[in-house]
Order: sequence, then C-alpha cells, then structure tokens
Amino acid sequence: MISDATYTVMFYGLSATVILLALLAVNARQLLRAALGLMGMLALSAGLYVMLRAEFLAGVQILVYVGGIVVLIVFAIMLTRSSELLEDHPAKLTRILGATFSIMFMLIACYALGTTKFTESESTQAVRDEVRDIGLALLDRGANGYLLPFEAISLLLLVAVIGGTVVARKTPPKHQPFTTGGDLRGETVAHPPLVQDDEHVVESKS
Amino acid sequence: MTELLARFAPGLHEWLTLCAVLYAIGLYGLLTRRNAIAILMAVEIMLNAAALNAVVFNRFVTPNEIDGHIMAIFVIVMAAAEIVVGMAIVVSLYRLRASVDVNQMNSMKG
Repeated sequence: MISDATYTVMFYGLSATVILLALLAVNARQLLRAALGLMGMLALSAGLYVMLRAEFLAGVQILVYVGGIVVLIVFAIMLTRSSELLEDHPAKLTRILGATFSIMFMLIACYALGTTKFTESESTQAVRDEVRDIGLALLDRGANGYLLPFEAISLLLLVAVIGGTVVARKTPPKHQPFTTGGDLRGETVAHPPLVQDDEHVVESKS
Repeated sequence: MTELLARFAPGLHEWLTLCAVLYAIGLYGLLTRRNAIAILMAVEIMLNAAALNAVVFNRFVTPNEIDGHIMAIFVIVMAAAEIVVGMAIVVSLYRLRASVDVNQMNSMKG
C-alpha cells in the first residue's frame, strides 16, 4: 500500500489534471480537441478509481468510456462535420449565466458538504476480492442482490442497440414497421457548402 | 515534508468536493454549449462525476459493502446507452436538417 504522502500528491495532481481537462472539454472551440480533453479526463478518472480501491471499475472505465464512448463521439463529430465548422463562442450573456449557475451550484454543494457529518468507517477486510464481490452481488437473488436491476439494464442495452440502429439507419428496408425514414426523407435537404475560412462559422439564428 | 503531506491526505470531503467541481464543470458545458455533440460530452462529464461520487461513498462510509461499485457500473452502462441513442439522434437530425445546433432545433417534427 502506498504511503499517505504519496496518496496526497497523487490525489491533488490527478484532481488538478482532471479538472483542467474537463475545462478543456467544455471550453475548446474545436470539437475534436474537446473530445481529446474528455478522453484524457475519463482515462485519468480511472486512476482516481484505482486510488479508491476500485480496480475493476477502473478497467471498466477505460474499456467503456475511453474505448467506446469517446470513439463514438469522435465518429459523430466527423459524421456531422462538426470538426470542420468551428463551434462559435457562446454569447457573453450565456457564458456569464452558465458560469454563475454552475458556480452557485458548486458553492451550495460545498456548503452542504461542509456542514454534513458523515459516519465514516474503516474497512475490516485486509484483502478484498472486488471482482468476486461484484459478480456475486449482481447475480444474487436475495434481498440485497442486484439480479433484477442487472436484467433490466441488459434489456436497456438491447433497446439502446436496436434503437440506435433504427434511428441512425440510412435507408429503411421494405416492410419495416419501425423506422424514421432515414435518408429517403432527407434527400431534398441540400448539404451546406464546405466552409474553409473562419468567417463562416455556424452563424447563430437566435 | 512527508509528515506535512501525510497530514493533508484527502478524506471524504476532499473527494466529494472534487466530484462537485467536476459536476459543476459539466453543468457549465451543458448550459453554454450549442453543438448537440458538445452537450452530450458535458453530460458524460456529469455522469462520470456521479459515478465517482458513488464509489467515494462506498470507500469511506461502507467499505465492506459493494453497493457503490454496482451503482457506478449501472451509471457507466447507462451512459453508454445514452450516448448511443443520443449520437443516433444527432446523426439522423444532421441528415434531416444539416445542422446540429440546438438553438435551431425547435420542432418535434422534421
């Protein structure tokens, strides 16, 4: 086990990096850069999970978030040509309002944290087999088990797979009852001209 | 130096503050971004902060249980499902309207 001093240094170093990368992810004008910030932030969050003795979750985080979600986001950015069209800066009023709102939320949350007394307890297990515990809990039919939520979430994944395929499908096959029409309806929509210069960023219609 | 650093070892409150800061950053992105994909990215940050929160409570309040980890796994799965459907909707909206600006999305019917 690492010493307390190393733990402190690791915590504050990782936290600062994660916060900076998250700020990059919400502020970067180029969406691909923002996706890169998101990827770094999620990967370093896996380090935070390791520090919390959740090694299995760290692996899941890397596999699902970094390997799956970020790749999907990058694909979507490229499919919608958002990487060519620079995201314009939000209006000043929007930014001020958003910053005020989120900082107020943070202050209220920190105040609530500071005035709450949590009953902390130390672990009594010397060595913990986390993967075994998670597996047993997920398939436990008892009162404290998670078998029903486990089945429900697998159903949710199935629905997400089918729904994503149906909604994003390009051309619907014949006799397909559930479809949004795909490209057949969008054929009349002319694609906007490719913009090369900075003058033609997505203009606001608001 | 080592003793000084050891005295500032992060406890429950420091971890929860980190989660609150991350959540607030995600909220800021959610409120200010106009590209639908960027908004989904901000939502991912918020979901990540929430999952981290569950693990932090599991570590410090009930270290012998596993419920916080299960909750985090469910949050991660839900985030994956949400991003799949969200991206499908964004891509088909882009096909239909050639734009992913949420300020222009004001009708339910194309």
